[in-house]
Amino acid sequence: MKLAYYPGCVARSTGREYEISTLAVCRALGIELAEIDNWNCCGATHVSNEVVSTALAARNLVRTDLPVMTSCSICYSRLRAAMIRLKDRHMRKRVNEALEKKYDGEKEVLHVIETITRALAGAEDQDPGDLIVRPLAGLKAAPYYGCLLTRPGGGIDSPENPSILEDLIRTLGAEPTDFRLKMKCCCGPIFMPEEEAAAETLIRILRNARASGADFVVALCPLCHLMLDANQPLLEKKLGEEIDLPILYVTQMAGLALGLAPEELGMEMNSVSTRPVLEKLEKIEGKKAEEEGAEVC
Amino acid sequence: MKTEATTTAATTTMTPEGEKFRDRVLVLAGAEVKTCIQCGTCSASCPTASLMDVPIRKLVKLVLEGEKVEALASRSIWLCTSCLLCTVRCPRKIRPMAVVAALKTIYEEEGKRCKDSVFEGIFARQIRDYGRISEFLLSAEYMIRSPSSAAQIMAFGAELVPKGKIELGFEAARGERIEGIEEMKRIFELLGDDGREEGESEKAEETEEAEK
Repeated sequence: MKLAYYPGCVARSTGREYEISTLAVCRALGIELAEIDNWNCCGATHVSNEVVSTALAARNLVRTDLPVMTSCSICYSRLRAAMIRLKDRHMRKRVNEALEKKYDGEKEVLHVIETITRALAGAEDQDPGDLIVRPLAGLKAAPYYGCLLTRPGGGIDSPENPSILEDLIRTLGAEPTDFRLKMKCCCGPIFMPEEEAAAETLIRILRNARASGADFVVALCPLCHLMLDANQPLLEKKLGEEIDLPILYVTQMAGLALGLAPEELGMEMNSVSTRPVLEKLEKIEGKKAEEEGAEVC
Repeated sequence: MKTEATTTAATTTMTPEGEKFRDRVLVLAGAEVKTCIQCGTCSASCPTASLMDVPIRKLVKLVLEGEKVEALASRSIWLCTSCLLCTVRCPRKIRPMAVVAALKTIYEEEGKRCKDSVFEGIFARQIRDYGRISEFLLSAEYMIRSPSSAAQIMAFGAELVPKGKIELGFEAARGERIEGIEEMKRIFELLGDDGREEGESEKAEETEEAEK
């Protein structure tokens, strides 16, 4: 399978380990990615003029004939929202006034979780064990969706109570926890000017994830990840409370199950150490190997 | 009957400027905003509602009543995280988030400024000039323009720099830039700055269609 790859700006800075693990996982799944030539920022949530933001998304879409894949939920939502706006002929006409290559219709836009889910489902028909060489049995993962993966609706999964991430966690051998705030917005888009407002929500999300019994949280969006991971030590300091909850990107979790080494998944780049997750997995595997060894004897 | 009388009163007292403001929001956010039944689903769904001075539901009401000054003065428009929950839930298929976006656009057009609009301005200008966002440049420029943010940004930088996620040094900090920047400029200048006239022409077309 060959897909056009839209990295989004964050992939080249604060979300580097998301890109590293996205590329590694796609390689392992036999998915070829062709980066969109001269792609531009989608505008994220910061371009209020809708004609402009729609044109920004459209400029990326017209640069390829392949289905487009991105790992960023904001980019993903922006591309999908733009295609909805562009159904309107006035909007299409306006946007095309500024575009060099004209927008002439929808195309398939995928989030990396869809790509992984599909690749694994496709492989299961043949041999389920082939790809998942290191099942994450014994690990508990809090599925954090954030807002934009499923919105503005009509796409990947229910915008109210999706299950695609829990399903993937199970497929990879781990157990999803009952994480009540899995859809609660991380407030990342207003973090820079409105830090106080965001902090209050973030701490609730982290406490709830912890209370769900999770060994780690799974993130699908680089902004959610930034808010929960890099920001976590700052929140701890601010509140004088230890949280110490590793936040893995969905691609880091999937990569581990596909047998990739932590270094191949950029796991040393996470702010909150991912060591406890790896150690627990090794311990469980060690115990299992011991039991199996005992049986053989 | 009483409700009807109130509505009529509100319409008749709307100033020409109020009317112009309402119409501009309707062009930017969609004419369906007029069908709002004030049910409050948007406010009840909003993740930052508890921090807002004016609930989203009331913001929509202010728009429809042409209460420009009050609507634009609300801190709520800058506390919206664009999570779209209001938009997927609205029983009238209105996009309350688009109303907020319209208010931000008008706020900026009127030359008003606050720390949040400064941030959005820097963000948009970087896309227009470079095609992509450099998080280093974004933070640095915002810190200069809004010095009270310095402590927070420096603390975050101290987390990110050792991880190699924010690189210092001119070349790295400059970030990635794209070729064909004229197209980016055109997107912002052609579609952004003359958006007001576009609004009017679209409205004229709408009236024409309605007349037919």
